[in-house]
Amino acid sequence: MAGSGIAHMRNSTDVVLTVRDLVVEFRLGKDRVVRAVSGLSFDVVKGEVLAIVGESGCGKTTLGRAILQLPPPNSGEVIFEGTDLTQLPKENLRSARTAIQMIFQDPISSLDPRMTVKQLIDEPLEIWQRGDEQERSVRINELLNNVGLDSELVLDRHAYEFSGGQCQRISIARALALDPRMLICDEPVSALDVSIQAQIINLLQDMHDRYGLSIIFISHDLAVVKAISNRVMVMYLGKICEVAPPEILYAKPAHHYTRALLNSVPIPDPTRQTRTELLQGEPPSPMNPPTGCRFRTRCAASSVLCTQEEPQLREVSPGQFVACHHPII
Amino acid sequence: MNSLLSIKDLNVSFDTPRGMLEAVRNVDIEIAAGMSVGIVGESGSGKTVLSRAAMGLLQGSNVHRTGTVVFDGHELTAMTRPEVRSHFGTGMAMIFQDPMTALNPVRRIGAQISESLIFRLGMSKKDALKRSLELLQLVRIPDAKSMLRKFPYQLSGGMRQRVMIAIAISCNPKLLFADEPTTALDVTVQAQILQLLRELREDLGMAMVLVTHDLGVVAGNTDYVAVMYAGQVVEFSPTTKLFADMRMPYTEALLESIPKIDHPAGKRLLAIAGRLPDPTDRGSGCSFAPRCRYSQAKCLEESPTLKTDPDGHLYRCLFPIGEAL
Amino acid sequence: MFNISKFTKPTWLSVSWLGLMLFLAVFGSLLPFKSWKFVYENDLGVVPFSPGHILGTDNNGYDLLVSLVAGTRMSVFIAITAVSLGGLIGSALGITAAFVRGKVDTVMSTVFNVGLAVPNLVLALALVSVLATNVDINQAVPTWRRVMVLIISLTIVLIPILGRIARGATLSWSGRDFVTAARSMGMRDRKIIMKHIVPNVLPALIAVAFLAVGVVIIAEASLSILGVGIPDGASWGGMIARGRNDLEYSPHVLYIPIIVLAITVISTNHLGDVIRASLDRRESKV
Ligand SMILES: Nc1ncnc2c1ncn2[C@@H]1O[C@H](COP(=O)(O)OP(=O)(O)OP(=O)(O)O)[C@@H](O)[C@H]1O
Ligand SMILES: Nc1ncnc2c1ncn2[C@@H]1O[C@H](COP(=O)(O)OP(=O)(O)OP(=O)(O)O)[C@@H](O)[C@H]1O
Ligand code: SF4
Ligand code: SF4
Ligand SMILES: [Mg+2]
Ligand SMILES: [Mg+2]
Repeated sequence: MAGSGIAHMRNSTDVVLTVRDLVVEFRLGKDRVVRAVSGLSFDVVKGEVLAIVGESGCGKTTLGRAILQLPPPNSGEVIFEGTDLTQLPKENLRSARTAIQMIFQDPISSLDPRMTVKQLIDEPLEIWQRGDEQERSVRINELLNNVGLDSELVLDRHAYEFSGGQCQRISIARALALDPRMLICDEPVSALDVSIQAQIINLLQDMHDRYGLSIIFISHDLAVVKAISNRVMVMYLGKICEVAPPEILYAKPAHHYTRALLNSVPIPDPTRQTRTELLQGEPPSPMNPPTGCRFRTRCAASSVLCTQEEPQLREVSPGQFVACHHPII
Repeated sequence: MNSLLSIKDLNVSFDTPRGMLEAVRNVDIEIAAGMSVGIVGESGSGKTVLSRAAMGLLQGSNVHRTGTVVFDGHELTAMTRPEVRSHFGTGMAMIFQDPMTALNPVRRIGAQISESLIFRLGMSKKDALKRSLELLQLVRIPDAKSMLRKFPYQLSGGMRQRVMIAIAISCNPKLLFADEPTTALDVTVQAQILQLLRELREDLGMAMVLVTHDLGVVAGNTDYVAVMYAGQVVEFSPTTKLFADMRMPYTEALLESIPKIDHPAGKRLLAIAGRLPDPTDRGSGCSFAPRCRYSQAKCLEESPTLKTDPDGHLYRCLFPIGEAL
Repeated sequence: MFNISKFTKPTWLSVSWLGLMLFLAVFGSLLPFKSWKFVYENDLGVVPFSPGHILGTDNNGYDLLVSLVAGTRMSVFIAITAVSLGGLIGSALGITAAFVRGKVDTVMSTVFNVGLAVPNLVLALALVSVLATNVDINQAVPTWRRVMVLIISLTIVLIPILGRIARGATLSWSGRDFVTAARSMGMRDRKIIMKHIVPNVLPALIAVAFLAVGVVIIAEASLSILGVGIPDGASWGGMIARGRNDLEYSPHVLYIPIIVLAITVISTNHLGDVIRASLDRRESKV
């Protein structure tokens, strides 16, 4: 199948998650299909922070959920620690899933408003009967303290009594309760204000260091991504454009979309408002994506080749992979 | 100045089980037609409450409001709720912060957008749907036609936010309150939406209050900035002046804490230490004192009042930056 | 959720009135009254506040207070049973449909919409007349069977009303991330529904259930007036139906049950609104 290539896949024993040819489609009516994720492949090595950035609606959330089989992808493999999650029977999946936990964008909607903080964090422990009440209670205190909350003060309060940043800390504590090996963070800080953003990012970094977690970090804030990730994957309309370590990607983007993305970052200085090269044109419909390169309808460098042939990922400089016929070099 | 919206000595507090929560304190703001004012500040500093109170959207028996809000010659604070509501859509409109809960989950997008067109502008259902389609294209929604028939849960976060924007601008308001309008959008779409809002301001003379915590967005899209802290406006100045010559220690800390794209990769971010003071317990002295790197003994005793530079730059600090001690 | 100290006067009045109705329905049979069918042959058509008959009697000599207490028992019993059954079945269907989505949901919401499109009374009338007729026309249908049929019909009327509310609320709650979070923690679907969906949907349902009680009481009365309710006057509707004949000489026979019914419906509607308003407030905080 015409994927976006697999040149960037690593053949290492350290790989914890391998996603191959992942396809997720939503059916709307008889013959209308939203192609949210179209044949994506990538991997994550142990302890890595892989950032996924891309246009709104390009399938980042769908991809994150498909890894957890929520809902399961239409085709493709999701191999986590040697097991293909897509092939697991329901009951095994239920337990396999606990090794991967998710942090959501909206911290308030990810916590049941009727439950107290204690009940919220106890929930995963109770489902899996991790210890008796006494042991679980000790564990809850420990988790809350780890994320910087005073357990004495918060245990019996409800989520809606907290600010967004505190709710996000509670979500992180809950996600860590089952000792996951991987976290999928779906825009964990975009609903938070700057000062709290920094605190949460630093907290995630600490948890990453302390528990040796692998993290998939979905975000559209390129500055935040730069601070936390080891590898950045740029997506456009369900496909990969570019994969590279942040130092390289930010210094010399090779894909035209990556460059447009970097140029659009607002600069907190009124005197340096460039306002150049806004990305032009309508974003194409995911129901009827363009042939060849999916970015070609908005790319200034597009050629005939781009309409005919889908570019495959290839290495343009060490560690930098790009799916473009005419990369910027 | 011929002002479109004039807020005078606005105070909003909530009666909560823990005591009186003073969410907005002594705020004065004037907004002229076509002007764009940014409101920045930490979460919980009162930005949303201020804009909701200005629109007369706060209700309930636990809300206490004093001060006056005059919009386009009408004193909103003296009106009944239906009278205030008659200004919504065509007079004022709001892009709500939380697109998930502001959209009705069981109604199609098309119906939700055309509703106010039919209701406020008296369009026929067919015209309203046609206009809805244009609006969706305006906010850069791909495949806008099929979007009309979708339900909110079928949309990505950024699409929902853009639907909210389409609803807000549908009746060409004179004043748009945009409460964090682009938080769920990626930077390319954000840039397009901001440009769209800029065009609406230039073409239709729409005024805008842009609530955001992204100082980058403020820098390129506003004429004036109000920095809020603990319910008060602590600094107010023309945007260019604020970035070039800020006087408030809080503004400085806020600017430092933004992750910046030219920050070295993998370097730890700077956070403002500590957190907002308890809003139910407004003690004496400067609210920012426990977190302020310039604070002096005097800051704990005396509440700073709003001072004005000759050029109209307002700030609320006893020892402002750039002033010899 | 409720702050009793914030109750307004109308709210207190509604609560007290409904409390009184409930008390009469449950303990009415223990009051030292004669049977409501006892005929006071010397006191026909006595006006209210007469000695021995606080609410007077009707032209047949039935004591109206005693009738009213018996009627309350029947009306309240029918209303509560129908609303509970309708709520239970409706919310089970609505919640399942919204949670599962897909075809099940399409079918279910179509069924609800069709049910809602038919006016309540017409549907109830049709159901009662189909279910409560005897093969032998001359043989009267026993009262208990009438009551059963009435409850079943009203339940069927209520299912789409409450089902649709449950479906809407579930759609909105099951889209929230905490449901996804619960799944990713390995929680089973059934438990997610019981633990996360039902408690959140319940308050909205209770608010509507109060309104539904009003709907049922009125429907029952209307059916009785149309002659297909409870035949021999043991409910408010039955009393109204009989009172019609006495209108000329003893108008109080008609007014008393009407007033009681009206106050009850106004009270349930008011409480439903109060609950809904307090929900909206809670929602806006979430
Ligand atoms: N349940 C669904 N039914 C139909 N279409 C869906 C559904 N969920 C997502 N989609 C579609 O799939 C595409 C990808 O959505 P997704 O939420 O993954 O985007 P995203 O990259 O996370 O965007 P954002 O940055 O705005 O959150 C969108 O076109 C969206 O409309
Ligand atoms: N309805 C309410 N009842 C009680 N307290 C409220 C209510 N609405 C807001 N508050 C409180 O008022 C204060 C200001 O809140 P507000 O929502 O204006 O903050 P904000 O600056 O908009 O923050 P964010 O960036 O998180 O949106 C907070 O302490 C908040 O808890
Ligand atoms: S493949 Fe062609 S259209 Fe696509 S990004 Fe490269 S140059 Fe542009
Ligand atoms: S008044 Fe004092 S504490 Fe407050 S901001 Fe100024 S220097 Fe800091
Ligand atoms: Mg998303
Ligand atoms: Mg806000």
